[in-house]
Amino acid sequence: MEPSSGHRATDRHALVMAIWLTGGFLAVVLVHLALSTGQSVALYAAGGTVLAAFVGHIVTNAVYRTAFTRRELTLALVLYAMALVAFALATLLEPGFKEAYFLPLGLVLVGVGAAVLFYMITHYGMRDVFESFNVVRDANVRERSDLVQKRWRSRQ
Amino acid sequence: MTTLLIASFGVLVAYAIYIATMSARRTERPEYFLDGGRGIPAWGQIFAGTGIALAALTLHDHLLLVSAYGLQANHLAIGFVAVAIIAALFQKRLWGAARLTGLRTMGELIGSYYGSVSLRIFLLFLLFLFTVPVAAVCLSQLGVVINMTTKGEVPAGMAIWGVAFFLFLFSVIGGWRGVVYVIAARFLLALALLVFLSLYTGLTFDQPVPTAGEVRAISGVLLDRLPGVITFSAGFGKDTPVGGPWTTVAILSFALAMSGIALSPAFSLLGISTAGRRGLAFTHVWMIAGIGAGSLLLLGPMLAVEIGTGSTGGVAGLAAFGDRLASIDLMLGAAFVLLLSTGLEIAVAAFAMSGASAMTSELIGRYILPGLTGTRERTATRIALAFIYVAIAMAAGFAPLASAILAPLALSLAVQLIPALLGLCWLPWITRGGVISGLIISGIIVIFTEPAGIIAFERLFLDLPWGRWPLTVHSAAWGLFFNLIVMAIVSVATRKREISDERRRLHEAYLDSVPVRLGSPVHRTAKWSLTLVWLFFALGPGAILGNSVLIWPGEETGTLVQPVPSLLVWQVASWLTGIFLVWWLAYRSELSVIAVTPGLLASLAPLAGDRPQRIAPRWIGQGLGRLARRSDPEPRGSARR
Repeated sequence: MEPSSGHRATDRHALVMAIWLTGGFLAVVLVHLALSTGQSVALYAAGGTVLAAFVGHIVTNAVYRTAFTRRELTLALVLYAMALVAFALATLLEPGFKEAYFLPLGLVLVGVGAAVLFYMITHYGMRDVFESFNVVRDANVRERSDLVQKRWRSRQ
Repeated sequence: MTTLLIASFGVLVAYAIYIATMSARRTERPEYFLDGGRGIPAWGQIFAGTGIALAALTLHDHLLLVSAYGLQANHLAIGFVAVAIIAALFQKRLWGAARLTGLRTMGELIGSYYGSVSLRIFLLFLLFLFTVPVAAVCLSQLGVVINMTTKGEVPAGMAIWGVAFFLFLFSVIGGWRGVVYVIAARFLLALALLVFLSLYTGLTFDQPVPTAGEVRAISGVLLDRLPGVITFSAGFGKDTPVGGPWTTVAILSFALAMSGIALSPAFSLLGISTAGRRGLAFTHVWMIAGIGAGSLLLLGPMLAVEIGTGSTGGVAGLAAFGDRLASIDLMLGAAFVLLLSTGLEIAVAAFAMSGASAMTSELIGRYILPGLTGTRERTATRIALAFIYVAIAMAAGFAPLASAILAPLALSLAVQLIPALLGLCWLPWITRGGVISGLIISGIIVIFTEPAGIIAFERLFLDLPWGRWPLTVHSAAWGLFFNLIVMAIVSVATRKREISDERRRLHEAYLDSVPVRLGSPVHRTAKWSLTLVWLFFALGPGAILGNSVLIWPGEETGTLVQPVPSLLVWQVASWLTGIFLVWWLAYRSELSVIAVTPGLLASLAPLAGDRPQRIAPRWIGQGLGRLARRSDPEPRGSARR
């Protein structure tokens, strides 16, 4: 009846999802509050919430002795890029947005990005950080070639 | 706000179904649907366990009570320390007993240990109370909250059936493991929302604690004081206690009733199905006694004072406060409704799924379709789950009053299992006769000190001279008092006949497999004495000192040394010392620390061995056979010979 460790990956994923559901939902509430009332402190709190969720994710990785998965990295990059684009568009197109929110929102976005980079550099080292962004590295895997001019494929 | 609220619910629905599907796809064997293969991770136990424990006094109820009765009702939050003590006392031994015998639920363990059909029937009745009336009350409250906060845009009936379908959907997909994942995540979200909304309310609105006359209180209720040690009243429904109902005796007995949640089918199933060795102690000490009690104790008043400030009380007060938040920001209002609904949804999902699981093990697999295993067992659980959710939704939608009358019996009757569990886990001299006799007496007392018995008797015969909770003592305490006396007398009289070899072996196996470190007799005495002293001063008659201990002698009542009421300081001190006490019991005495995972003991087979036997009454089998007779499908390609 006792299961082996086959559920560890599911357990980890469910915990990560629980952490980000909580952090993400609270951050959305805070951002909404900030945008509707003009309370910039709520934006800082939203950034703090995202960072807290990130720390929770790191703790989960430490407990389960895993690292960020490719999907997690990709999703994080996409979401961060979308946030940057939305921030830029709002700054350019929304009247009054720049005066009210540019500084706090900019600081939050820079802070979150800097914290993530700081963690990755201290944890993985500079070279591996850049390696980890290479998400299409194995997209065209082929057998090693015997031809002299194809020796560069020897990595696989 | 309604649109935002529905969108937020939509996100949570999508999340729950995703997690449940993922869990189901990676489940190794079909029977793991019932109990997660006893591999629930420690974090699942930690968060989901606390969420289920808080169902003993949901945030919804706590806020309404504090908004009506002030700090005297806030004292109830310390009762979660008592819940943690009871959980520490039994959960590790139940966990060990399940692994030593191979049995799956608390009902099976108690029924097999005492070898009693009567006990099994009692446990099935208790299971029914938690699974249908209690869950129906929660769902009904949820429907009312959503209806009022959306100003009728979402009818209560639609909310009830919609939420019931959503809860059923992820439960039927993910099984027990999926439910635990979702409950854990929802509890974490609710905790974050509670902290945020309380702090925001405390900083934005007027006052952090319910002391001043601005709070709309029931006439004559003392908001910042306990009304006394005991009130000699006939009980609710017959007269109104002066100064408020929450005397120290009422609080102590209510805390005892709250402890029934630690003996409920959902909480015990979660404990038994947990794999992690570190989960139990952390849950008991830091989550239930620490964060659970502390968040209600410190943050509850911040919200409650604003709920009580409006011109309306009750659920209308909750809705009015939601409107005030929504007037600042719509998302704040939606977050408040989500916060209220989460505690109720956790209770419904946990009680329904554990009910279906236990029903399959204890009723269907034992009496109706004996020998049910594998895929069929999973299917039976899914069918049971569907019936349960239909029953819950119908009771919540069409019979909320009947559910509200039956539901209070659940916690009180669960507390009456303490003697049975003491026998199973600690004291082998407690006999079946003693347990059953105690349960009969206490069951009658509980029923006739709760609305179910009082209303039925008064409708059928004549008026009783007492009402609900006479002398402001909770029905659970009345029942347990007489239960222990009867159990002790009968057990002493019958102990020589009843103690079997299997039971003795089980208790011997505890010493090796799930040992505790209570120390020498002097240490034991000190530990339990300290526990009683703490109960006396934190929850019992000694708590009356909190009314005035921090007020200068000679000064008028209400003039305080510090800016917060004396009682609140006493409550915080009681809570902190309570955490220390639970830590001492759970960690230092190893009541909740699990060192090794014991394996199945062959010598205990007679305890577990009656499960697969065909013991269903013949008429049940024949009736089912007529209804559902069909030939087993032949394997493809096989020829009939």
